[in-house]
Amino acid sequence: MTNEGSTAGGEVLVCENVSRWFAGLQALKNISIGIRSGEVFGLVGPNGSGKTTLVNAVTGFYPPQEGVIRFQDTVLNRLKPHQVATQGIARTFQNVALFKGMSVLDNILMGRHIFMRPSALASLFYWWWAQREEVVHRLKVEEIIDLLQLESVRDEPVDIIPLGLQKRVELARALCAEPRFLILDEPMAGMNQEEKEYMVRFILDAQEALGLTVLLIEHHMDVVTAICDRIVVLNNGEKIAEGPPREAINDPAVVAAYIGKKSDAA
Amino acid sequence: MFYRLSGVHHTRYETARRIWPVPADRRMVYLVLALAVAAPLYMSDLYLTSYMLPWLIWSAAALSLTLLMGIAGQLHFGFAAVMAIGAYTSIHLTRAGVPLELALIGAGLVAAGIGCIFGAAALRVKGLYLVMATLAMQYLVDWTIINVPAISGGAQATLSTPSVTFLFVPLRGDTALYYGALLWAVIVTMLVLNIKRTSFGRALVAIRDKDFAAAVIGVNPFKYKLLAFFTSSFLGGVSGAVLAFCYYQAVTPEQFGFNVSIQLVAMVLVGGLGSVIGAYLGAGFVLLMPIVLTNVVAYMAIAGWLSVSSNLLAHIPLMVYGGLIVGFILFEPLGLAKIYDNVRKYFLVWPFRHTQS
Repeated sequence: MTNEGSTAGGEVLVCENVSRWFAGLQALKNISIGIRSGEVFGLVGPNGSGKTTLVNAVTGFYPPQEGVIRFQDTVLNRLKPHQVATQGIARTFQNVALFKGMSVLDNILMGRHIFMRPSALASLFYWWWAQREEVVHRLKVEEIIDLLQLESVRDEPVDIIPLGLQKRVELARALCAEPRFLILDEPMAGMNQEEKEYMVRFILDAQEALGLTVLLIEHHMDVVTAICDRIVVLNNGEKIAEGPPREAINDPAVVAAYIGKKSDAA
Repeated sequence: MFYRLSGVHHTRYETARRIWPVPADRRMVYLVLALAVAAPLYMSDLYLTSYMLPWLIWSAAALSLTLLMGIAGQLHFGFAAVMAIGAYTSIHLTRAGVPLELALIGAGLVAAGIGCIFGAAALRVKGLYLVMATLAMQYLVDWTIINVPAISGGAQATLSTPSVTFLFVPLRGDTALYYGALLWAVIVTMLVLNIKRTSFGRALVAIRDKDFAAAVIGVNPFKYKLLAFFTSSFLGGVSGAVLAFCYYQAVTPEQFGFNVSIQLVAMVLVGGLGSVIGAYLGAGFVLLMPIVLTNVVAYMAIAGWLSVSSNLLAHIPLMVYGGLIVGFILFEPLGLAKIYDNVRKYFLVWPFRHTQS
């Protein structure tokens, strides 16, 4: 709890006493976290503990009713999701949220949206106006395709490729927005061991190559302990532990949240 | 064979993103365009003005609607009203002495403006509720046109178009009118094809497919839904004006009634949502199929294959036509464009069976 109320110490994303209610249910209870530049920060907790709600609060979908969320020096509370995107925050979704009507390439090109100036007039005069922009951004997209080894599926419709690749395409789309802060909401859900290992490598590669700060929500504890620098454990909307992963998940409160207390046993 | 992908290697992104990357497709488009341009030479005036010309203009209108319904995913059941606004605006502007070129742009802007007002109201609702909101637009616009004499020229009035020139060519005679319609169809086609391969079209598709995922990578859903309504209504307005000037040469409120909106939706659905060639096929189907069916049924009756009363005879084409539309929705929901695409893909890899994209 050293980080409350300060942005010092290279913290890029700071949540101060964030609370969020859904009608009578308080999904987030006074959550305070500070994520430092360049680290992989884990967010774990049982189902329904408020992990995704916290991420949705950061990205503007469910703005917190109380508390402040700051990214670098900008207060994010009042920003809409598309405005948060322009601040340099990108995220992926728990259930793959790709655009099913488009090819893999077009999906990844969508990641360049905030740098492009789309208009019907530019499209009408494509050859004199839009083409140059398309090619410039295509070059950047190809770099990311290269990094995540998506060359072979580039032209496939996105809904026919396997789930593991779809998750990778979503990561590629997020990376194309050149974020400084990347939020990954269960990037390994539903993957087998091999796909998980690939994904971990791609996340670490991307983090190293692009100098990212990563907020990772994940249920696979092996992944969390392997790549996270620090984690926060949530339960019922409350922060119950914080610190280096191995210590935090051995905290008695965390063990109790996941597998119950002795007194709960029948 | 002559129609395949092998041997087509792109070394530049410009060529990889061509509208028709397969040479055979490109040749076919050139051929169709050449046939369309040369149509006045080999087609009788009757076919030119009563089949080709309306087909081209309705295709342009269907393309405008497919931009909104297919690409941006916003249902619109009042598109005839948008066309009506364009038609009336252009006629009043040209009657006031504005050159046609400017009047067409004005028609588009007024239609886009009014379309956006209803679009903005519709932004808060989705699906069936959006259908209701756009239906309201249809009835409000119809009512306003009929009941405001300054617009309609009085109840039951017909406003005929003044004689005008377009780009210094007098818009008179079948050939000139046909080329006017062809020019507009080509412009709209190129625009929609280009929208589909640029960031604007991608943003619209993103909103359609997953609006929250679009927002999280920086697409403002509100802005892009409005832009979709604006662009589509602009094109629809100009299409209405072109329809008035090149085909009807007059406007009455009944030309843009509710049934026309439904016909436009049918064109888009039968052709295939979001498909450019589908708009042409769908418009052709909706316009020409009733005529073809009527002729076929009449021929069969004359030949003695159908011995039914003349009353029933008049209704058989309608029944078959309705059955065909139901059949399309049931068996090929992606429309005529999908059937075309299946055939194309079959030949793309012939004599093998497996297709890749």
